Amino acid sequence: MAIDIPTRTDQLPTSATRFIGKAVNRIEDPALVSGTVEFIDNLSLPGMLHCAILRSPHPHARITGIDVSAALELPGVEAVLTGEDVERWCDPCFTAPEGWGNYCLAVGKVRFVGEPVVAVAATSRYIAEDALELIQVEYELLAPVANPDEAMAPGAPLVFESRGTNVIQSRTYTWGEVDRVFAEADRIVTRQFRWNRVGANPTETFGCICQWDLADNSLTCRGAYQTPRFMGIGRAASLRLPANKVKIISHAQGGGFGGKGGPRGTDIAALLSRKSDGRPVKYIEDRMEYLLAGGGQSWDRYYDASLALKADGTVTGFKVRLVDDQGAGAEGYGTISAAKPLAAFTGNYRIEAAFYDLTLVATNRAPTYPYRGYGPPPHNLVLESLMDVAARELTLDPAELRRRNYIRPEQFPYTVPSGNEYDSGNYAAVLDRVLELADYKGLREAQTKARAEGRLVGIGVVSTVEPGVFDWNAYATVGVPGVGVPEGVKVAVDVFGSVTVAVGFNLQGQGQFTIAAQVVADYLGVDMNTVKVTTASTDVALPHFGQGGSRLGVAVTGAILGACEKLRQTFCRVVAHVMQTEPEQIELLDGRLQMKGAPSHGMSIAEVAGLMLSRSDLLPLGVEPCPEATFVWVSPNRNQPDDQGRCRSYLTAAAATHVVQVEIDRDTGQVKILGYYIVDDCGTRLNPANVEGQLQGGVAQGVGAALYEEYVYDPQCQPLVSTFVDYLMPTIHEVPMTVKDHIVTPSPIAPLGAKGCGEGAIHTTPAALLCAINDALAPLGLECRETPASPRRLWQLLHDKA
Amino acid sequence: MKPAPFEYHAPTSIADAVTLLARLEDEGCDAKILAGGQSLMPMLAMRVARPDALVDLRRVPGLDHIRLQDGHIAIGAMASKRAAELSELVRERQPLFHAATRLVGHQQIRNRGSVGGSFAHADPASEYPAVALVLDMEMVATGPDGERVIPAAEFFVTYMTTALEPGEILTEVRMPVLPAGTGWAIQEITRRSGDLALAGIALTLRIEAGRCTDARIAAFGIDATAVRLGEAEEALRGAAPNGESFARAGAIAAASLADPMSCIHASAEYRRHLVGTLLERALAEAAARAH
Ligand SMILES: Cc1cc2nc3c(=O)[nH]c(=O)nc-3n(C[C@H](O)[C@H](O)[C@H](O)COP(=O)(O)OP(=O)(O)OC[C@H]3O[C@@H](n4cnc5c(N)ncnc54)[C@H](O)[C@@H]3O)c2cc1C
Repeated sequence: MAIDIPTRTDQLPTSATRFIGKAVNRIEDPALVSGTVEFIDNLSLPGMLHCAILRSPHPHARITGIDVSAALELPGVEAVLTGEDVERWCDPCFTAPEGWGNYCLAVGKVRFVGEPVVAVAATSRYIAEDALELIQVEYELLAPVANPDEAMAPGAPLVFESRGTNVIQSRTYTWGEVDRVFAEADRIVTRQFRWNRVGANPTETFGCICQWDLADNSLTCRGAYQTPRFMGIGRAASLRLPANKVKIISHAQGGGFGGKGGPRGTDIAALLSRKSDGRPVKYIEDRMEYLLAGGGQSWDRYYDASLALKADGTVTGFKVRLVDDQGAGAEGYGTISAAKPLAAFTGNYRIEAAFYDLTLVATNRAPTYPYRGYGPPPHNLVLESLMDVAARELTLDPAELRRRNYIRPEQFPYTVPSGNEYDSGNYAAVLDRVLELADYKGLREAQTKARAEGRLVGIGVVSTVEPGVFDWNAYATVGVPGVGVPEGVKVAVDVFGSVTVAVGFNLQGQGQFTIAAQVVADYLGVDMNTVKVTTASTDVALPHFGQGGSRLGVAVTGAILGACEKLRQTFCRVVAHVMQTEPEQIELLDGRLQMKGAPSHGMSIAEVAGLMLSRSDLLPLGVEPCPEATFVWVSPNRNQPDDQGRCRSYLTAAAATHVVQVEIDRDTGQVKILGYYIVDDCGTRLNPANVEGQLQGGVAQGVGAALYEEYVYDPQCQPLVSTFVDYLMPTIHEVPMTVKDHIVTPSPIAPLGAKGCGEGAIHTTPAALLCAINDALAPLGLECRETPASPRRLWQLLHDKA
Repeated sequence: MKPAPFEYHAPTSIADAVTLLARLEDEGCDAKILAGGQSLMPMLAMRVARPDALVDLRRVPGLDHIRLQDGHIAIGAMASKRAAELSELVRERQPLFHAATRLVGHQQIRNRGSVGGSFAHADPASEYPAVALVLDMEMVATGPDGERVIPAAEFFVTYMTTALEPGEILTEVRMPVLPAGTGWAIQEITRRSGDLALAGIALTLRIEAGRCTDARIAAFGIDATAVRLGEAEEALRGAAPNGESFARAGAIAAASLADPMSCIHASAEYRRHLVGTLLERALAEAAARAH
């Protein structure tokens, strides 16, 4: 039974869409605003214990002794877990690439400050934390490896002795005739950039409740799980259980952004439950733990990059050398962030050749994890900054230089040198619209005036492509195997005609439950408020992945369309049988299964479902009394990469151009954002309010990365940032409300023409802000090439010049 | 992030509170006063502060007044910062204190945080101690021997340390009404809105017959406590209130700083520079208000 997934809204069985494309109220929100959502820390189970974790104060040390006897004597303490237990019961956490991982508790040595060393389960978190103070750990200090230079120096101490090196991976990618285009270039611009560590900071940190059933030898984990199935498989591997003995129940999450992590916390809580006779054990990561060693640190990068151009501004080549400080291993899949740029290496431009020299290094900083956008925010900052440098050198307007190099609308589908295929786009139209929206000419005139007054006003015009809907193949070169990331749903109509959608993920903020309800309601012609979206636990859910890689809105749409299409086929058979005709004579339109050409002859969805469930005597042979259908969607037409990592990886290519105007205070180095304009194109906007939320939120994180946030370490690898007093998340006062508009170039291949839109803004904002800052500094001949462009850094630049 | 064990007391009168503190001290018990909790609670949760006992002042009546009293403004230690911010008396008669209040954290912090708490806490980057030095405020401490009045210049001892004795409660702060015609300004550099200052300046400025007659200037965020900038004050005396003299005062102030603090957000050198810039700007702002 071939299932065609509609790629256009006019292919839906409805005379007019009622929900898709509209900013309908989100079905997630009443529970969120009334406080009835069950976040994991709201849940308490009978007999539940609380976990606290003793963490390493040292970046690199051998553990020579652990004495937990006093902790065990503290009333209320039920179990204490050490590396010895873990070594007996566990395997190191699965990583990519393989072999660069740690156990959930340090075994033998610690590799970063904050690494879990001992864990306690007690009757309250207070007692558990009291117990930590009674534990004695003896360390023999080892020299820390503070940065990639140190890590790669001959004779450097080894973070993972068994690997024999601190280099996790080092390889080059060559796409096209790189040497030739650089040899033939009229101009080459080269710069170094330093992107300091930043990362995800969801409102809710990671938390879980784990219970080991000692009779069944099975494990149930409830928690803030972003990718439940993946988490379940991982736990089975690390805890040495059959996969069907691990059940993950994903709770609603207060954000994720890639920082939730979870393997360590889950394994620790699970083993504590195992050690305390199967009582449930709750672990709630607190903010200090999160900032120190949660999944919130990403992108610690040193870039050296060049752009080759012709005299007329045609960009012909792009070379990037990236040394990425992964921290203490690859447990957090930080490596995929360095591979992700392959999906859109050359951005919006027709650049014929490119080169990527990628070195992933282990140090004694905390391990890095994915962060919204994965790798492109720093990569785009490099590419777009070089575009601006080139524009300055060629005395071209930066918007004009970009326009000259854009992939043209008629060139889609367009295969970029690094292998991915962009489905569609109209970059010049996006640029035209945003320049108009921002009154670009007016901004430039105002800048000229301000400069004459000695003010440092700058404008950034930055274009990016957002690869949407990830596939594993994008990360094959860093050791993630496979093609096809599944998203499965079940759509069930009950005897009264209400519809239930069971998905594998839980809500995290983006509004995918609403998208699911919109699509079901428009397809089946029912009202959105009759649709219930619910999360299935991993023991019964279909294969799924959940949020990640700017995919879920599109993926869940595809899955629901597939399931609805299967339902439609079944319903047509049933109705045809009842009406004594052929299924081909029956059509679904606006919620009715009716005779083609005689629409008054037909039945509503509710009637068909009711009939199926209550009149088996009327069912055609071979049709089960089950008005339900499942569908597991994967991106169509993906393939295995070649030896240079080239493949069709991300399904969709959304695009955006941001225009931002800033002013730098010469005397204080403070940056003020004077205006911020966005035009984006993510194809069909399934729910425009959702898209708007994604954009504004991404801008906030981009502002953070460009101007405020930084995980600072001292030269001994001691973290100097452990609270929000020092990790400067921008607040509503720092984030501008952006002026937005959009154009729509539907994807010809994705469900309903929608493109992934969850990451585009964070891909663009840091570059836009840095370009604007450097535009402001240009008359002084200064450039800031380090993030965040904090007042201290900018003042130092200005001061050193003066 | 859970506090270490502590005893909790919630006395219902000042007398009880004072007696309790004295008893706890006698018993060798390290007691801490809890006011709005906006600084103390995080310190407890991080186990940076580990008192044996907390004495919560929130049930003690009579500590939250804001009133004109004998020609000065008196604010009870437990009045919230939000109450001070919303007080017409404070806004109209002591605009410098009012402006400083609005710079403290966010509204949520000011709802909970007490006025007295910020003086007792004596954070070097806090606005209030600097304003206290500029305005010659007085702190009223109540202890076993009754009340005593401590001038601001003696109150702030060093980093997060005040002249309060262990058994004493700060019960009231007093400040003069700002004389008509006095210019004032408070300016600070924070990384984000509502953050503690990397550097800040509070000042009053009197201008008579086209000359600066009296400048009272304090800087915060740069040393262990707020500091008066005497050399800059001196340089301004008799100077014409113009950009040139303000720039000079800024430069003198910057040069006069002994050893500014340094942190990941601001080096000592940057802080020194900020003091000069802020003073210059604050003087211009104050001059525009003076008449
Ligand atoms: C996000 C955030 C931002 C902030 N920003 C600023 C800012 O910009 N500027 C600023 O100045 N502050 C700032 N603060 C601190 C805040 O203003 C606190 O409210 C203030 O420092 C203490 O007041 P409190 O009532 O909360 O005192 P508590 O936290 O309850 O107590 C603080 C200390 O003072 C002692 N104490 C309190 N009251 C008395 C009393 N009556 N007698 C004797 N001792 C007493 C306590 O024992 C304790 O040691 C910020 C706090 C937060 C959380």
